[in-house]
Amino acid sequence: MNATLGGAANVLGLASAVMGVVTVGYGLVRHRPELVRVGRRYAWLTFACALAAFVVMERALITRDFTVAFVAEHGSSRTPALFNFATLWSALEGSIILWALILTGYVVATVVKFRTRVDDPLFGWALLTMFVVVLFFFVLLVGPANPFKAFEPPIGYDGPGPNPLLQNHILMAFHPPMLYLGYVGFTVPFAFAIGALATGRVGEGWLVATRRWTLFAWGFLTLGIVLGSWWSYEVLGWGGYWAWDPVENASFLPWLTGTAYLHSVMVQERRGMLRVWNLSLLCATFALTILGTFLTRSGVVASVHAFSNSSIGPLLLGFFALIVAVTVGLIGWRGDRLRAPGRMDSPLSREGAFLANNVLFGAFAFVVLLGTVFPLIVEAVNNNRISVGTPYFDRMTMPIGMLLLFLMAIAPVLPWRKASGELLSERLLWPALSGVGALAIALFIGARGFTPVLAFGFGGFAAGAALRQIVLASRRQGWRGFVGRANGGMIVHLGVIIVAVAFASSSSYSHQQELQLVAGQTGSVGGHDITFVGVTTKELPEKTLTQAQIRIDDGKTYAPGISIYAFSGQNIGTPSVRSRFTEDVMLAVLAFPDAEGRPLTVRVIVRPLIMWLWIGGAVMAVGTALAAFPGRRRNPTAPVSAPLPERVVPALAGA
Amino acid sequence: MIAMGSTENPDSPVAVSAPRARVAPFIALAVALVLALFVWLLATRDTGDAAAVSSPLLGKIAPPIRGTGFRNDAFDLDLQRGKWVIVNFFSTTCVPCKLEHPQLVELATRHEAAADLGIVSITFEDSPAKVREFFETNGGTWPVLIADTGRIAISYGVAAVPESYVVAPSGLVARKIIGGISADGIDQLLLRLGS
Amino acid sequence: MATRSRFFGWAVVGALFVALMAVATFDRDNGPQNNAEREFSLAAQFACPVCDGQSVAESEVPIAREIRKEIRTRLDQGQTNTQIRQYLVGLYGDNIDLKPKASGVTGLVWFLPVFAFVLAIAALVAVFRRWNNQTPAVATDADRALVERALAHAPAAPERVVSPQDPDDHDD
Repeated sequence: MNATLGGAANVLGLASAVMGVVTVGYGLVRHRPELVRVGRRYAWLTFACALAAFVVMERALITRDFTVAFVAEHGSSRTPALFNFATLWSALEGSIILWALILTGYVVATVVKFRTRVDDPLFGWALLTMFVVVLFFFVLLVGPANPFKAFEPPIGYDGPGPNPLLQNHILMAFHPPMLYLGYVGFTVPFAFAIGALATGRVGEGWLVATRRWTLFAWGFLTLGIVLGSWWSYEVLGWGGYWAWDPVENASFLPWLTGTAYLHSVMVQERRGMLRVWNLSLLCATFALTILGTFLTRSGVVASVHAFSNSSIGPLLLGFFALIVAVTVGLIGWRGDRLRAPGRMDSPLSREGAFLANNVLFGAFAFVVLLGTVFPLIVEAVNNNRISVGTPYFDRMTMPIGMLLLFLMAIAPVLPWRKASGELLSERLLWPALSGVGALAIALFIGARGFTPVLAFGFGGFAAGAALRQIVLASRRQGWRGFVGRANGGMIVHLGVIIVAVAFASSSSYSHQQELQLVAGQTGSVGGHDITFVGVTTKELPEKTLTQAQIRIDDGKTYAPGISIYAFSGQNIGTPSVRSRFTEDVMLAVLAFPDAEGRPLTVRVIVRPLIMWLWIGGAVMAVGTALAAFPGRRRNPTAPVSAPLPERVVPALAGA
Repeated sequence: MIAMGSTENPDSPVAVSAPRARVAPFIALAVALVLALFVWLLATRDTGDAAAVSSPLLGKIAPPIRGTGFRNDAFDLDLQRGKWVIVNFFSTTCVPCKLEHPQLVELATRHEAAADLGIVSITFEDSPAKVREFFETNGGTWPVLIADTGRIAISYGVAAVPESYVVAPSGLVARKIIGGISADGIDQLLLRLGS
Repeated sequence: MATRSRFFGWAVVGALFVALMAVATFDRDNGPQNNAEREFSLAAQFACPVCDGQSVAESEVPIAREIRKEIRTRLDQGQTNTQIRQYLVGLYGDNIDLKPKASGVTGLVWFLPVFAFVLAIAALVAVFRRWNNQTPAVATDADRALVERALAHAPAAPERVVSPQDPDDHDD
């Protein structure tokens, strides 16, 4: 029953999407705006179908209806209720349902928000683009990623449950939906970009209209990535939060180009420049979300995270190729119109800084993408299998990160058009002093090593610049000095600096060792005393949990352990972490003492400033929310370029 | 002075710059080519894991194996020259290993008379009691090394269990097999490889 | 801020920066303290042969633990990182090294980004040069007429264009 209902919802959704594409497409080509108006209804219909599919699948999961193949493969009567709900997105087909739901939701929101502009062909083309994307995902749902295939469960059948790694932590419920809200959210500005290119109206209008959508999507993508790191750290037990794993890189790439885009659009709004950059960055962001989905679901690159293989790969790759072809074609076609009316006066200006920003983020994205796919390239060329991992990424991205920190320090104080050395030396003095202060503090608490200490210094420099902006703005505008794009942006910068500093210190100053302890014995790692007290066992319906009681530094006792899941027989470690603001101590049990007298083997990892990674992420989220806050209402016809000097106006008026 | 770009078309609000406009399609074409190449690369890759059966050891002298099995039977690989030897890495917790075991027993039985094939099992990170119990339940009388076996595993480049290395009478490594052997498969291999 | 005191301020910044960074660079070594830790920091540079995507330091499968033990033994024997790397690559192939070689086709992964970056900077410099060499456009009578027409249709007075959120523009 559930299977047929769900399957019907998908087919109906597919049909609606087709109708939407046809109706709106015909209406645009034949210049019949009433068709576009009518076409909007299909947006609602596709949303209803996606919602129905979602509800039906969740119901099937929660009631453990094993007649649905997806539930039979991933659900279980022993999984706790909340995890059953989250099981939807723990596997391939269900995650496509989530994607379709969020996507159609965004389309409906766009239709509602822009209902007064329905006769505008730019909006029409945007709507058409969105329908095409919706169509693609419904094709996936009806075709290779069909979660509603029927299944005949034998009597007494019970499913295996989701991968035990995914059952371990509440964050699993939040990380994918947040990530999808981000990923999928970029579809809307992308659709408008296509609309702008198609109609030739490549000025600033579409940018301003979609600014908040982009910010919203970016914010959730950021949050999704941070939550993913947090979950990885808490659950996997190796003390790491970022491994440059292909799936992680897949989510990071659109973040990089998206961040560059968010900054670069300011130049287009102000001076009409960098149009090709902006369009390219935005289209690249969307294309990268599809490419990322391909990389993680096709099995082409090996990864800890990878979903199961299926024939979804070729379809995703084909869609990626289509997006690239259409985008490059449109930008090439409209090339002339994209030329800026003005030109950059000086590289030492805010425009120059944003251009440098684009280049740096572009380089960053290039390095990450190259490193991720390079094993494939080498294999194609000479059949060798090589690996490209953390040592490569760390070394290549470090200088780029440093340059970005430095840029973050000087860009906010740069004026538009042209800066003089005089002006910079005045505005940057206090930030520079705070940078040197940060250096001194770092050395005082014992940090050494050129790279991490330099990172602290630049971080202090950049923080000084951001704080200067916030202080100046709040002095002039009171509480409004904390909201709006520029000020919210400065708070986001602070968050980024916190994350960068935490990243640098935990990369350079961690201690890790394996200790072998018998009951009562104490070992020492990174300045902490680790005492093994004893072993305890807990029996739960879905697993047996054996824990080692370990005391850290004469304080509390922590209980890392290993869970044995009844059905799959898998052993999953549950590490235990003592988090303080200064550092985290993580304990992961590798082997329990056994009858033959072997001792407890426990891995101890001491990492500084880990908590600040999450705090920095939260600051970024808060800053994003503040940045979305509407600023003082501007007169829409107020010019955005430099004002005409007084003496010119009467001269012209008189001519 | 207000810079407004060229004055060719004064009524156009969007200034069109001088005759460089034709560059755009070429750049677009170049970009398109690079991306097309990229898509082709991704499209032609193997999805999923193709079983890697190459090994740097093939054709080289098999790394030494010296030890005492759990039945106190000594074993030295170098003393086995003149016989084929199946060096089998396994673990009692590994399901494919348990499935493979009857095949090993069968293989041992078939070659018992001719005495031209020996088997040695190597387990590591496994409990001696469990290994003993395993062999007592499932049969197999060949040497099974359990102590100090980690280094042997690494010297063979063992990645996962079960893995088996076929060592020729000359002492060279002839074949690496992952995932489990079958008695028929080994016999056919021996025929193909000659003596 | 007066120019003299600003100059002094920057001099202080410069001097402190150089001094502090010198201390950071040349003072006591801050790497892994003992072989037990070096074992892990070196193991992190090799891929676990079995599990996709994890390093030998992270993975818990038996073979990874064996490799770590082997690394530790060799470190205790006094072998260098390079020697241990050669040993492991000899056994498992290039696949196991997470740091790609710097030679051959593989070396491209190090070279291409640097090359692309240099190319981008060169392109930007060239574009800037060309911009600066072009004579700035001079307003013709047609231009003036256009501006006059536009201003005639504009609302009352052009508002102050500074974004209220941009404090530095106010300082101009």
